[in-house]
Amino acid sequence: MSNKPTHKTSSGELAGFVRLNEGIKGVVLIAFQINIMALNAILLAHRAGEVALGFGVISKELRSLSVELTALMQELSNDAYLAVNLISDLLRQERRYRLLKKATDLVANPSPALRDVMVRREEEFSLITQRVREVRLRLLDRLEDARKLCQFGTAISRSAKIEAAYGREYGRALAEVSQEFDQKIQNILPSIEALCTGMQRR
Amino acid sequence: MKTAQTIYQEGSHRWVVIARDPSKPDCVIDTNEYLISREGDNLLTDPGGSEIFPAVFAALSTIVDPMAIRYLFASHQDPDIISSLGLWLECNPDIRCYVSRLWSTFIPHFGGDENSLAAIPDEGMSMSLGSGQIEYVPAHFLHSSGNFHLYDPDARILFSGDVGAAMTPPEEDELFVRDFDKHIRHAEGFHRRWMGSTEAKLDWCERASRMKIDMLCPQHGSIYQGDDVMRFINWFAELPVGLSTFRHRR
Repeated sequence: MSNKPTHKTSSGELAGFVRLNEGIKGVVLIAFQINIMALNAILLAHRAGEVALGFGVISKELRSLSVELTALMQELSNDAYLAVNLISDLLRQERRYRLLKKATDLVANPSPALRDVMVRREEEFSLITQRVREVRLRLLDRLEDARKLCQFGTAISRSAKIEAAYGREYGRALAEVSQEFDQKIQNILPSIEALCTGMQRR
Repeated sequence: MKTAQTIYQEGSHRWVVIARDPSKPDCVIDTNEYLISREGDNLLTDPGGSEIFPAVFAALSTIVDPMAIRYLFASHQDPDIISSLGLWLECNPDIRCYVSRLWSTFIPHFGGDENSLAAIPDEGMSMSLGSGQIEYVPAHFLHSSGNFHLYDPDARILFSGDVGAAMTPPEEDELFVRDFDKHIRHAEGFHRRWMGSTEAKLDWCERASRMKIDMLCPQHGSIYQGDDVMRFINWFAELPVGLSTFRHRR
């Protein structure tokens, strides 16, 4: 078990996944706000009629984006939960391994059966470590998807600003909505970046 | 490291106490574990907490192969009694741990499952160990609500869990009680506070006084032998315990 993470690193890793879950909650909240805003924007565009046809299409896109982002965050949250379970198990295994190793070291002639127990422990430990690694990679992939989704969101929120300019008497209201869209999307991106950085650092 | 010392032997039937660990951390209470062996059957009483597992395991290995321990007995559910269960099961997944039925669904938090835990009914039970029998004797509410002691009628030894326990200072930390009056002062505070029921205490004293006991072996502190056994039972019967004494101290 020479290249196994120490208790300290596993604890740090556990804290990292717990922080990730907290960050996810923040993103989900913003995604929910975008969804409500987009719904209102669709209704506003409907009222505005032909001058806001483009704005309406963009609002629908933003609404789909928020739904997709929420689903992605749910998957991330599930993975983070799985990772917390795995690392908790890892911490338990580490403690057991440490105590069994100490017992083996104290015994003058450890029996082959005791050595087998240690080998089994090491194998199981490696297996869980591998699973944690896999979950972290999957999380990183999902975070990358979320980042791309937000970049797309940034692009379409800018298009919304342009479309708002064609809104005539609804122009001001549409501009306000498009500005809020932009702000919300801009709020998500740093959160996603922070989550990516937090995961990559481990 | 803890040391193993035989306190009774008759042919292949023996009791070994694993006690006194000078290297244990101060924050961990010292405990006595007892190995009962008979014709190759090995039972370990109150195997202890996880943190002392290496010391118990190593001390046992000087007497028997610890992997050959077949039975564990947990007098109750406390962590210093049985939190090492998961580690023992790592060594021997076939081990059976006997414990009050009350705790059979609590102890799996330390390890094990319905296959590794054998529930003792409230009224107690006997079980075979080698060619002999041992008895799980009820000691409920002393101090746990589901509490048992273990009696070996052939060896005339009663493993009494926390009953008889004493918090002796290092300079008086003898394996056997030498001076009852001096020793019992270190048991008084513990029994007053931990033994919550006068009724349960008197019930136990009455039953214990009818048993043939040459040695009364607690989980902490020194072993009572000979006349000190009855001295202890009488002392305990007289001792005010439980909530009333706690209130007096406020």
